[in-house]
Amino acid sequence: MSSVTQSGNKNSQDFELNLASIIDCFTVIIAFLLASTAFLSIGIFDAGIAAGAPQAQSLTPPSVQVAVEMKSNHRIEIKVSGKTTRNLSLDQAGEQWNRDDLVSRISEFKKEWPELQSVVLSADNDVAYHEVIKTMEKMKGQIQFVMLGGF
Amino acid sequence: MSKFLKKLKKRGHNSTEMNLQITSMADIFTILLVFLLKGYTTSSVTITPSNDLFLPTANASDAPADALKVEVAANGVQIDGGLALPLTQYKFVQTDLTQSGTSQTLTAIFEKLRARQLSIAKNNTDVKIDSKMIVIADKNTPYSTLKTVLASGATHGYTDFKLAVVSNK
Repeated sequence: MSSVTQSGNKNSQDFELNLASIIDCFTVIIAFLLASTAFLSIGIFDAGIAAGAPQAQSLTPPSVQVAVEMKSNHRIEIKVSGKTTRNLSLDQAGEQWNRDDLVSRISEFKKEWPELQSVVLSADNDVAYHEVIKTMEKMKGQIQFVMLGGF
Repeated sequence: MSKFLKKLKKRGHNSTEMNLQITSMADIFTILLVFLLKGYTTSSVTITPSNDLFLPTANASDAPADALKVEVAANGVQIDGGLALPLTQYKFVQTDLTQSGTSQTLTAIFEKLRARQLSIAKNNTDVKIDSKMIVIADKNTPYSTLKTVLASGATHGYTDFKLAVVSNK
């Protein structure tokens, strides 16, 4: 790997390292890594655990259930059932669903019922998946589990 | 190049041999290598969406675990890499849908997969029945299509839905 050049003086400790072969190795490794690296990192959104899963069996049923429904006309309906019943409708914010208002409502519910851990999210048939994900993402900041519903 | 040689001769250098300075190149390559190795995923689970599939973007940091992969694109549903059912612009064939909102074809496939998992679990106690399902759906998929896929999986115990997104962290 390294070639020692003893120019004149036999006691000289100077030597030249032959980097060409190292460069060759690096080029091959870098080319392989560049080809195989995924530059998009894929994350996972947990859409909750439905009743059939083992984790859910140990949980006691919540005293209130909150269901959020995204309507195709950009309105959001919130239905609270259990020890109290409430129906709320959130108006659209411009051409979008009013997610900020939804988050503040969820936060209020959480203060009112600290045992509230999950919300069921559903949407109208023609609502795009990425809009549902956006709403889930917003709600995840306030509530532990956001489960998909409507089926 | 010839100008360079003339310059060398002017300076009294008769030799045309050149020494390429590759130390700095080696430095650059080392930095590149360290950067690439740091970003290289060591996870055993790889999710590679099809070319025409665009995942939604969200702030999700959970790493994907090994589970049944269901891909929903505009032209079809794939289960574990194999085409399970063709779709027309995300729409199921009406005759394939049941009254409960499930797909007959998908339900049959999920049933087969579940039966195989059960038979393996019966003979090998180390194998546990898994309810996880990774949903790799295109960002423009209508919720009705997604509902049908999820409902079909849920009928055979695939109830722990993991939604794959492009992490914007």
